[in-house]
Parts: sequence; C-alpha cells; structure tokens
Amino acid sequence: MIVSPSSSSSSSAKTKKAMKKPGLGDQEETKWRTAAQQRIYGRRLIDALRATAPSGPQAVKEAADSALALTARGQSRWSRAILLSRRRPSCKFLLKARRGRMQPKPPPPVLKLGAPASPEGKKVSERLRLLGRLVPGCRKLSAPSLLEEAADYMVALEMQVKTMRALADALSGASLNAAEHAVSDE
Amino acid sequence: MEKERFFGGGWKSAHAGLLPEVSAFAGDEHLPHSFVGFGWEQPVHGQEAHAQQLESALSSLVSSPSSNAPDGNDSVVIRELIGRLGSICNSGNVSPSSRCHSAHASYYSTPLSSPPKLNLAGADHQRQRMLVNQVAAAPFLADQGFAERAARFSCFGAAEAGQLSRVSSRQSLAKEVAASYAMMAGSSSSPEASSASEKLTAVVAEHNARKRKAAPKGKGKAAAPSSSSAMDPPEASPKIESFIDASKLCELIPLPQEENSDSKRCKAAEAGGADKDAPVKPKTEQNSSDDGNAKPPEPPKDYIHVRARRGQATDSHSLAERVRREKISERMKLLQDLVPGCNKVTGKAVMLDEIINYVQSLQRQVEFLSMKLATLDPQLEFDTETLLSKEMHQVHVPLPQQVLFPLDMATSAFSLAQLPLKLAENPPDSMFSSLQLPPIDHLANLWEDDLRYVVQTGFPQSQEAPFSSGALRAE
Repeated sequence: MIVSPSSSSSSSAKTKKAMKKPGLGDQEETKWRTAAQQRIYGRRLIDALRATAPSGPQAVKEAADSALALTARGQSRWSRAILLSRRRPSCKFLLKARRGRMQPKPPPPVLKLGAPASPEGKKVSERLRLLGRLVPGCRKLSAPSLLEEAADYMVALEMQVKTMRALADALSGASLNAAEHAVSDE
Repeated sequence: MEKERFFGGGWKSAHAGLLPEVSAFAGDEHLPHSFVGFGWEQPVHGQEAHAQQLESALSSLVSSPSSNAPDGNDSVVIRELIGRLGSICNSGNVSPSSRCHSAHASYYSTPLSSPPKLNLAGADHQRQRMLVNQVAAAPFLADQGFAERAARFSCFGAAEAGQLSRVSSRQSLAKEVAASYAMMAGSSSSPEASSASEKLTAVVAEHNARKRKAAPKGKGKAAAPSSSSAMDPPEASPKIESFIDASKLCELIPLPQEENSDSKRCKAAEAGGADKDAPVKPKTEQNSSDDGNAKPPEPPKDYIHVRARRGQATDSHSLAERVRREKISERMKLLQDLVPGCNKVTGKAVMLDEIINYVQSLQRQVEFLSMKLATLDPQLEFDTETLLSKEMHQVHVPLPQQVLFPLDMATSAFSLAQLPLKLAENPPDSMFSSLQLPPIDHLANLWEDDLRYVVQTGFPQSQEAPFSSGALRAE
C-alpha cells in the first residue's frame, strides 16, 4: 500500500493513484489521502479534544470519529450515521431523510448476492453482513454500495489513524521535549 | 371509406377467384380457414381490409405455387406477391405513379385471374414501385418463400405509412407472416400459426418506440421467424434458412430510410421471439439478435444497457444478475487495492475476510490512539513504551519507506527540526510526565505534514516491545 507522507509527495502520489485507479478508488484516495484532508482533520481533532474535556479514551475516540465524519462532509453514509448518532442519539429518521435527499436511494436492502445457494455464497453473505456491522450506518445495505462505503470508510480510517498517531507522537514528543527541558533546567 | 368498399368488393371477387384455386390446390384445409380468419379481423381501417385481402390473395398464391409449383409461373406469382406486400406496407407513400404503374403492369401479368387485386394494387403503385426497385436489386428469387420474405423485408424497409396504418399493416403483415409459415409448412398447424401471428401482432402492438438499422432489422426478422418457427415445431429448418437468406437479401437491398415502423416491427419480432417483458427489452433484443446471428461478443456497454456475451444466458434475470455481479466484483477489486497484501488473495470470501480484518484492525488502532491521546491530555501513567513501540511498529508497517523531506520543512521547519533530533535522542521510556494542553497550540502551528516527517524520522530507534505488537503485526 502506498502512503502519501507529505505535501509534495501527496500530490505526486495523488497523480499516481489517479493513473492507477480511475473511478471510485481515485476519488476516495485523493479525497482522503491529501495533506489538506489530514490538516483539516487534525485541526478538527485538536479542537474537539480541546473542547471536550476528555473524560476517557472513549470520549476521545468519539471525538475523533466525529471529526472524521465531519471531514467527510456528509457525502458518505457512514459519516452521516456517525454524526447523527453522536449529535442526537435517536434520530434515525433524520438519517434516512438525509440519505433520501443527498443520495439517490440505494437499492432495496439485499445483503445476499443473488442466491447464495453454494456454501461459498453463504460465507460471502455472512461476511458482508459482518462488514455491514463494522461500518457505521451500513447494516442494511446492498452489496455493491456496502463495498463502496467500506472502501471509503477504510481510507478514512487510515487517514484517521495516521493523523491521530502523528498527533499523539507530536504530543508525546512535545511532552518529552518539555520534560527534557524541565529536566535540563533543573 | 371508399377504399374499404372498393376493397371489400375486390376482396370478394378475389376470394371468389381464389377459391377454385384453393380448392384445386388445397392440400391445406386450414388455408381458407386462416385467410378467412385474417379477412374478418379488424375490418375497421381501409388499409387493414386492404391488407387482409392481399393477405388472403397472397396466402393462396403462396400455397398454390407450393402445391403445384409451375415453374414458369413462379417468378411472376412471386412478383405479384411482392407487389401485394408492397402495397400493404407502403400505404401512404407518396411518389410519382405513372412509371411504376407501367412497371407493375408487367409484374402483374399473372395467369391467375385477379383483376380486383390488380386494381387494388394499382391504388398503391407508389409503394409497389419502391418494392419493385428493391426487389429488382435481388436477383435470387427462386425460392418462393424466400422471395416472399424478401418482399416483406424490403417493404419493411420502404414503408413510410402513417402511424395507424403502419400499425395495422404491421399487424396484418405479422399475421400474414404467420399464415405463410403455416402454409409453407403445409402442416395443419393453424392454431399455432394463428397463435404465432397473434403473438407477433401483440408484440408489434407493444413495441412502438425504437429505431433500428436495416441490417439488424433484417437480422431481427430472421431471428423472429426463426424463433417463431421454433415455436411451431413442425415447421422445418429450410424455412429458417430461407429467412436467413432473406435477411441477407435485406442487407443487400439498399433500404433508403430508417423507418420507425420497420424498427418497431423488427424489434417487436425479436422481442416477441425472445418473449421478454418491457424493462428488459433493450437488452433482450440485442441478446436475441446476438443469439440468432452469433455476433462476435461485445462487452457490456454501460450501466443500463447490457449485451449478453456469446455463450451466456440471456434471460432478464441472468442479465441483471450479471450486472450486479460485475458491480460487486469491480468494488471488490478496488478494495483489494486498498487493503494491503490482498493482491495474492483470490475469491470473494477470503477477500472479504481480509477486508473485515483490516477494518477491524484500523478501528482498533483508532481506539488505541484515542486512548493514547486521552492519556496524553491528562497526565496518566501509561505504558508509553508499549504505545510508542506500537506506534513504531505501525509506523513502520504502513510507512515502509522513511522518506525525508527536509525541504518541506521550510515554513516552520526549524523549530520542528529540532524535534526529531530530540526524539531520537531521548530514549523512548522517558515519561510523558507533564504534558499540558498549551503545547498543543505550538503543535497546531507546526501542523504541517512535517509531522509526517516527525513521525517517520522521530523513531528510528526504539525498542520493540512484545506487548500487542503481535496483534498489530497482522497489519
């Protein structure tokens, strides 16, 4: 897997990815792997962390996920699901309404691939169900859109992980720095 | 209206004239039955009635040569048939009549006594002219059925009738076609023939919206007769061959215009042969034509229009399924590229397994990082070694190359550049003793991708802790 570490490389990586994966993958990757996105997300994350008095790691995680969903700008189903579930815990209807408005209605909820008569097909459908449970807001989704959402979610998660890691490292580094300074001062 | 009456009278006389022939040649008891049936159907429109009379005349003519086959009369009879067909098809065509009339006179020098038919034909001389031109282009009119179908196809090509008349003529023609099938076979399959004709007419009535080229029209017509002949088992393969020949004839005949009616007819025939429902028609027409003519396989065009490849099932269900499967496999390929190490893996189940594992690992990473950040903010004693080692491991795994971009650190690089050095120097087991939030502002200023640099170069030396690295190694 190729990573776009810095701004200059990310643009070149973007073009590389554009050449490699035309279509869906291209959009997603260029969307999520740009430095700009990381920056946006990072800032949002920092703001969220600062805003919420982090009561625990779960709050941090939720803040991080919300920030990620915000960065997605509501174009993907999982991001909308996250946002709506966070802000108002029981507003599923809003989710549906938004889905109807923003996106063309997905095909009727059919998880299975046609007729999974073979045991393989059953495995596949099972796994699709699992995947639907993993990706937020994609439980009842058809196979192709589920896979699409999963791809988008994966890229977003990767970006989130990178950003959080960098933040954590920077924080720890800063703390180390501060500690060192403190130590050296003494 | 006048036409109707005229034709009615003509029909009667034609009928009277035909009956002796019919009786003389009647190996087919169903013949009078069939054309009487045709004659009595839909006496509403003048041209329909016209068509019916011509139909009956044609059918009788067809049957008579088939039964007795006087060679000398064949071609003439055939030309007359063609003329009748042309008159049926080209109702409403406007063109100079004089020359064609004379031309037709030669064509209509048949020994068969049917002056009313001639009169009727004379009324539609324009169309006959066109037909004649077209038929003249086809020198191979030996086979009477062949010629008949050739005439039909050519008249399809030339038809410019009004919509209603077109529909009616189409319907009548369809019936005629079916009737001719039955007659040609000489089999007592009149119910089948009528059913086939009904089917064709019903189909014709349904599909009224497409345009097609002449060649596929001919091919479609060939497919349709072959398919409908498939419906009528007693009808033999020579008919199919004749149809196919006729289709070739159609291609040879330079059909000047693309006609909606023709396309409709062809489409209708195809679809009728394929026997599909409305939404799947664009696919099925193409598919049936593919099947009928064994075209080279074409790739699926786009989302809606799918063409069945050669050797594949062509019913609507399998088509839709194939489209779905292709969509799904396309998305799976995308995911395969995303997930690291999935290039070797094949198969949906295993791929999905990998994807699920990867997503779960990513989510776990987020959890870990959030925990870490939670600990960084307040000052908790945490196993920072392990966290760092984890990060190191994670950093190394997804970032196999540690790319240094010293030039990128132009803006706020200097202050940041000190960080990696410091980080490198400090052993990882130094404590995150007092990390306050104010440093975050500082960091926010440095929040360029230089952090990437920090991340990459900041931990060239760290101790790998056994803790949970095994779990993360799977990534």
